[in-house]
Amino acid sequence: MNLSSHIPCDDDHDTSESRAVDSSLRLPVLLLFGNAVHWLIIATLISLVLAVKMIAPDFPSLLSGLSCFSYGRLAPIARDLFLYGWASQAALAGGIWLAARLAGRPLVGVIKTSVVIVAIVFWNLAVLLGSLAILAGYSTGVEWLEYPNWASATLFASFLLIAFWAILHFDYRRNERAEVAQWYLVAGLCSFPWVYGTANLLLTWKPLQASAQGPIQAWFTGSFLLLWLLPVALASIYALLPRIRGVHLHHRNLATLAFWGILFLGGWIGLGRLIGGPIPAWMSAAATVSAVFLLIPIFIVCTNLLGSSETEREEAKGNLSLGFLLNGLYALIGVGALGALASLPLVSSALHFTSVSEAIYQLSVFGAISMPLFGLLYTCVPELLGRAAWCKTLAAWHFWVTIVGFWLLVLFLFLGGLVTGLALIDPVVTFRNVGSFAYPFSVLECVAQTLLLIASLILGGNLLQALAGNYLFPKR
Amino acid sequence: MHRLPTLLSGIFLVFLISWIGLVAYSATQMGRLTPVADADSGGSLPPHYNGQAIAGQRVYASEGCIACHTQQVRQSSVTSADMSRGWGLRPSVPRDYLRDSTAFLGNSRVGPDLANIGSRQTNAAWHYNHLYTPSSVAVGSEMPSYHYLFEMRKIQGEQSNDALHLIGTAAPPAGYEVVPKADARNLVAYLLSLRHDYPLPEADTVKKPSATPSQ
Repeated sequence: MNLSSHIPCDDDHDTSESRAVDSSLRLPVLLLFGNAVHWLIIATLISLVLAVKMIAPDFPSLLSGLSCFSYGRLAPIARDLFLYGWASQAALAGGIWLAARLAGRPLVGVIKTSVVIVAIVFWNLAVLLGSLAILAGYSTGVEWLEYPNWASATLFASFLLIAFWAILHFDYRRNERAEVAQWYLVAGLCSFPWVYGTANLLLTWKPLQASAQGPIQAWFTGSFLLLWLLPVALASIYALLPRIRGVHLHHRNLATLAFWGILFLGGWIGLGRLIGGPIPAWMSAAATVSAVFLLIPIFIVCTNLLGSSETEREEAKGNLSLGFLLNGLYALIGVGALGALASLPLVSSALHFTSVSEAIYQLSVFGAISMPLFGLLYTCVPELLGRAAWCKTLAAWHFWVTIVGFWLLVLFLFLGGLVTGLALIDPVVTFRNVGSFAYPFSVLECVAQTLLLIASLILGGNLLQALAGNYLFPKR
Repeated sequence: MHRLPTLLSGIFLVFLISWIGLVAYSATQMGRLTPVADADSGGSLPPHYNGQAIAGQRVYASEGCIACHTQQVRQSSVTSADMSRGWGLRPSVPRDYLRDSTAFLGNSRVGPDLANIGSRQTNAAWHYNHLYTPSSVAVGSEMPSYHYLFEMRKIQGEQSNDALHLIGTAAPPAGYEVVPKADARNLVAYLLSLRHDYPLPEADTVKKPSATPSQ
């Protein structure tokens, strides 16, 4: 279970270059990862409370009279903490580290480093205060963009200050021929300002007439996952997986097609949430077409990365990073297959608005996106600290509890949604009965959410001991 | 694709396609829809919200009602289930959202669709009771109670006109009454005005209402 024996730098780079990159980025990247993990813990904790509230609406009964414990206020906080606190921040951490490492260029200069660190502090302040504002009743009410304007503007500005240098690294890289991972990094880091800026401008900063807001919300949700977070997750897979396995990319020429395919389709995928809704008919059709066509780039990515006939390096077996990266790819296949299925009008008529949509969301945001970021985290931290920092037992526990919790959650959400969806299309079944059908699955979802909370706590503990230099949990 | 400007221009062009298709198209086409004249009342459709309902939209947003409730009746070309469930007389169209500050379309139906809740439940007292103790008017409801939108106070002299008529475990102790706070009044005013039941040129209400709308 070796986590640190594979250094993602090109063969023609010497290790002193990698060390220079690591020492220049140590503080920013660890700061980002550390904050990301603590938001992950809080987000999964709130998600567990929300899951319990689905079976006991007034849980916890002592606090049910308080506004800040209402489902409607906690639900957007949990999602936003996951998206902006954990996923975006982990993607930024991984993104700037991979960009610098693959280019072989450190972040030079005290001013640059200080700017990045100040921006990270502001990012986290915006996430914290924005969430508290939602708790206090100042949500904008726009899904995924609930933070008040001052918080979203801070996130936007902080992102530019953190990511700008990483984008420039592409042109100052030492490798002549750009790696696939490097394209994905540039695309992902460029798309956040574009997507988040447009959506906030038109939906919260200076809202358009509401009749036009639906498709823009849909464009934002799809783009946020497929153009910002997924490309960084794919960059980590493309950068790490072949190196850990010690094999070459298969059909690299096809990777270009997959890259442009994902960028082209990513903006349209979100429309799936409006099939049959108050939008022009061609948009409903575009939702189905794009979801089906997304299977092609996903197929190519999997062929690129899984279709190897070469024998793996012996030490790749049991590598935790590899395990996370592979599970990310499996979840990506799930996103493609389930997303395409659910976008067919006939299927959508039954399953849309049920927890099947939530299952697809979890498959993308926890599976295809967070799993590769976990893999990157496990490779990156020992590199930055210059020693095998992880406690292997805790790491293995984190891996297995995450995998079991995640796949169970997706399964229960899917089955629960299937049952309620089939009942919903039959008007004879009253709405209250439909809800009762979902009850057993809601109970099971609590179990899965508990596992995910335990997993994130283990990760938090392990990261803490890694940073504290094994003082807290002495090695036996 | 080995130089940044080339890669960036490619990325920009590809992003631009979906941006034009969904963002620019929506902003310029659907964002410029106008109300239509209503021959019957001499006003315009969709009707204006009153001031209380406009304030109620803010409550709807800040309480996160959208987490469990949609506001859209889907097109009959995709499904007629929404309409046969009694959630609307006709599918929702973009023009229906003209007067809203935010389109609360939603993505999850843990609770029923609310696009026409104002024509399904026309009684304000029902809504107050439902918000205070959902199960008192909708048995088995999974909705949490919104006690904090109400005030429980000692009855001074006679009981207030707007006090909730509560029975059973939800009832306040003797000598006390439960009255809605301003947020609850605004929210209910908003819910009562949620109705896509008027005809529009692009969406005629030909279908007659079903006998008993299911909750």
